[in-house]
Order: sequence, then structure tokens, then C-alpha cells
Amino acid sequence: MSFMTGGEMESADDRADHVLAKRQSVAFRSVWRRPLAVVGLLIVAGWVLAAVLAPWIAQYGPLQQTADIYAPPSADHWFGTDQLGRDVFSRVIHGSRITLPLAVMLVALASVVGSLLGGIAGYLSGVVDEVIMRFADLVFAFPAIILAMAVAAALGPSLRNAVLAVVVVAWPIYARVMRSLVLSAREMEYVLASRLTGASSREALFSEILPNVAGPITVLAMLELGNATLWLAGLSFLGLGAQPPHPEWGAMVASGALAFNRWWVGLFPGLAILSAVLAFNFIGDSFRDTLDPRITRAIR
Amino acid sequence: MAAANLRRFVIRRSVAAVILMVGVTMVTFTLTSLVPSNPLLSLLGEAGMSDPVAVARYREHYRLDDPVPVQYFTYMTNLVQGDLGTSRRTRLPVLDELAKHAPASMELALLATILALTVGVAAGTVAGMFHNRLPDQVIRVISLVGVSMPIFWVALVVFYLARVQFGLLAGTGRLPPGMLPPPTVTGAFSVDAALAGDWRLFRMATAHLLLPAFVLSIYAVSLITRFSRSAVLEALGEDFVRTARAKGLSGTSVAFRHVLRAALVPITTVSGVVFGVLLSGTVFVESIFAFPGLGQYAYVSAISLDLPAIMGITVFVAMLYIVINFVVDLLYAVIDPRIRLS
Repeated sequence: MSFMTGGEMESADDRADHVLAKRQSVAFRSVWRRPLAVVGLLIVAGWVLAAVLAPWIAQYGPLQQTADIYAPPSADHWFGTDQLGRDVFSRVIHGSRITLPLAVMLVALASVVGSLLGGIAGYLSGVVDEVIMRFADLVFAFPAIILAMAVAAALGPSLRNAVLAVVVVAWPIYARVMRSLVLSAREMEYVLASRLTGASSREALFSEILPNVAGPITVLAMLELGNATLWLAGLSFLGLGAQPPHPEWGAMVASGALAFNRWWVGLFPGLAILSAVLAFNFIGDSFRDTLDPRITRAIR
Repeated sequence: MAAANLRRFVIRRSVAAVILMVGVTMVTFTLTSLVPSNPLLSLLGEAGMSDPVAVARYREHYRLDDPVPVQYFTYMTNLVQGDLGTSRRTRLPVLDELAKHAPASMELALLATILALTVGVAAGTVAGMFHNRLPDQVIRVISLVGVSMPIFWVALVVFYLARVQFGLLAGTGRLPPGMLPPPTVTGAFSVDAALAGDWRLFRMATAHLLLPAFVLSIYAVSLITRFSRSAVLEALGEDFVRTARAKGLSGTSVAFRHVLRAALVPITTVSGVVFGVLLSGTVFVESIFAFPGLGQYAYVSAISLDLPAIMGITVFVAMLYIVINFVVDLLYAVIDPRIRLS
């Protein structure tokens, strides 16, 4: 018994106090005191610029074919060309217009769906709670990428279906966290006070509880953005997401895998994925400490 | 009392595991039969659809004319009897394919898990002991890079560097061409070769495992590092650690005998999840290294949209995942008796 770790048995109320106390520090003005977050934001800003200015930055169109097939990197083609003579640099730049908005969109979708379901489960309790949370458990019973692969394959290979597949895999985390947040917030004094002053339970949910759990959910979404990007690119790598000739980064790495000694075809799109995901993770991880440690553990 | 608690815990967890397994089959059933516009088309493919005999046989086999609950019942009956359908690509029973490919991936994922646990726990312990100092910061950035790399891309880069640039290590696959596998005992070539006392074969089999296992383990190393760091930090705050320090024990003694030992308990709980992550990660690694395991089978099935195979892999991996997590739960309850009560 000498190696027991303490603190696991804390009550839900202790946890709630903790979450809500920490929430105050989620204030994003503290970004500048977190160097990794600054690096992450700079990289993201760079990619946003690249996405907006893609037609002006890239010398070639993303689908434009040239006679130079598998040309190694040169002054003319900075990242070389692929099997159809397309300029890899131009495709990587244009690829930011596909992967990044989709990743943000799917995380937004998953977090809204997940927190809505989790919020409902936590607030209503009973049968509704059971049904929703058992569905969440069921998703967790699969390794994420395997379920995403199965859903994407069943829906048919397309970028839209890949996004849906990742949403199917991603929502339960938000549901779990939201549920526990709502469960503990429900008992907080300020919520009870608002109920006592005559607010209906729905009013209390929207005006008192939701604003107070928005912070942790936002941090969670930032932490998950990197994973979502990886899953989406992974599905495209498996041929279940973006279809040719789309310049999607995961699909571009897949075409690089078909000719691995032409290293430039796969290297640069992969670096693009890495830089974007790393930026997301730098930002997310910098705010991880604003989350309750037990919630962080529930996520992993 | 304790034994009764444990028994109740085992029963409760077993029931939960079985319910989850049934749930998994419902998910895959729904995915195969309800979602696509035409399940027959996805099962048979264009070529099969033009053959009325095959269509009739499939309708009969899957009872597609029956109501959905009956179809599910048929699906379950087939599943329990080991009928996971027929791969559209290879025309072989999916179960046979799984049995053929699973041992290689288990061997790979197991080696990667051991690798990840060793490196991850070591790095996490260092990070925790140097909380917020330079080693901690460096390890944090490295592990963030680790979880940010697309594994299929790492596989490609490592493959290129090792094989093409440096001519390092063995070729693709599990063994050099022409080398016969050892007599099957476990299905893991390295273990079987050692059991047969064939050390040349053992070296070859292990050499073929190293690169893919290394690539596979990167993501898990980062996960375990982060997890063990927080477990160590938590242990450092414990009274017994302070007592050990107060007794005048040296830093390393406290680190190994008290902190790490306490931290290992929560670390065991993630090892199941890690194995699952690694087993599914083989989808992205094996195809690059032409390693003939479950991951490569999954990759080829995904690329060729072989739906019966994909669903078979999904059921198989999910079941395995449930069983592993069940075992880990039990282990945890044995190590840490408080868990039985919760």
C-alpha cells in the first residue's frame, strides 16, 4: 500500500471548484507569457497568409501539369515536381486551403455536437444521460483511426465523408468533459442562486452554466485540433479522404510513398502537416495547465 | 472481503466488456448494411453485381430481404461462427486473412510498446524530477514534436534515409527473401526463432522489426512521456516521498524506490490504450515497410475499398482492444485495491 497515489478520490465538488477557479486564468491575454504559444500562433498566421495569398505565392496552379516529371528541387521548382510534373511547392501552398479550414471546421463541429450532447446528458441525467454516454463509451471502444477508417469506407471515399468520419470519432471527448463540467457546475452556488431568484432550469443552463464551461471546452478543442488534422490527413493517405487531383497534404504524401526514392514528392507535404499540427499542439499545450489535471487525464 | 470485492469487480467489468463487444458488432453491422446506398454493391463490387447468381447467393447469405433485426441476428450468428465475410479483393475468408496477418502485427506492436514504455517512462521521469527546469522544457518540446508528426510520413522519411541513403538494416518484409520462417509456435518470428534455437534467423527477424517498431513507437513515446511526467509529479507531492527525503535518502534512491514505483501504477493503465494505438498505427507504417501484417492488410483493403475486409479488421481490432483494456483494468485492480471499490 505504500505506493498509493493520493488525490484520486476527490469529490466532484472539489473538482468543480478547481475547474472554475482555474477558468479565470484562461484569459488569453496571457499568451505572451507562453513562448510556445507565440511560436504556434506565428506558424498558424503564416499558414493563414499562405492560404489567403496562395494564387499569388505559388508560381504554378495546383493542378497545372508540366513536362518535367519527377524533377528534383531546383530554382524553378523549389520543392520539385511530382509524377504528373506538377509543382510540389505550389501544391503544398494550395493544400493549406484544404486541410486547415477543414480541420478547424471539423473540430468546431465535433466540439459543438459533443458538448451539446454532453451538456444535455449532464443536465437531464437519467435515461438520456445513460443513452448518450453509452454511445460515447462505444466510440471509445474502438481505436480512433480504425473507426474513422471504417466510417469513411462505409460512407464512400470523399473529403466530406472523411470529415464526417473524424467528427464521429472526435465528439465523445467533448461530451465526457462537458458532462462532468455541467454536473459539477449545476451544484455551484451561483447557479443555485440564479435558480432561487426565479431563473428556470433552461435559463440557468444558458446564462450561468454554459458561459462558465466554455473556457475548458475551448482549450480542449485547441488540444484536439492537431489530432483532428492528423486523422484527416491520415484518411486521405489511405485513399479514403481527398481524391486525386486535390492537393491535400495527406494524399500528396501517399503519392510520395509510391515513389519513395523521389523523396521531395512526399517530404514537403509531410513537413507542411507537421508544421501545422505542431503549431496547433504548441498553442493547445500552452493552455493545457488551465485545465483541471483530472480532465486532462480523462482525455488521454 | 477483499476477495469478494475483486470478484464483484471482475464480474462487473466482464459484463461491461461483453456489452461493449455487442455494441461494436452493432456499429459494424450498421456501417456495412445501412449506410451505403447499396450494401450489395459494396460487398460484391461492380463485377460481382453483373452476376445474378452471385447476387442471389449474397442476398440469401446475408438475408437482405429480411427485416433489419433479423439481418443483425444473421450477422451475429455468422460472426460468432467466425464468418466475417469474404474479402472482395482476394476472394478469401476475411477470418483466414486476419489469422494470417495478425501475428506479424502483434509482434511489431508489442516490440513498439516495450520500446515506447522504456523510453517514455525514462523521459517522463527525468522531466518530472526536473520539473520546469531545462530538461523538462526540452523533453516537452520533443514530445510535442513527437505527437505532431504524421506517422505515415515519418515511416516514409525513415525508410528513405535508412534504406536508400545509408543502406542500413535489413530489407523490407519480415525476413530476407528466400529465408524460411521458423516453425510456428507463437507466430512471432523473433520468438519462434529463439525457441527453435536458430540465432541467425532470430537476428534477421529482429532486424526487420526494428525500423518499423521505432517509427511506430514515436507517437506512443510522447504519450507515455507526458503521462509518466504527471504521474511522477503527483508522486513527488506525496507524504511518503517527503518522508524518504527527510530520512536523508539520496535523490536517485528516492527517484527509483519511491517516486517511480508509485508512478508505475497509473502508467500501467495507459499501456492498454498504447497497445491499441500502436496496433492501429500499423495501418500507416507496415505498408511503407512492406511488412505483411494487419496494418498492411488494412491499408490495401482501404485503398481498394474492400468493405468486408475493412469491417472484419474493425471488428477484430476493436474486440482485441476491449479484451486488452479489460485485462489492464484487472491488473490495475490487483495492483491498486482502491480501484475495486469505485
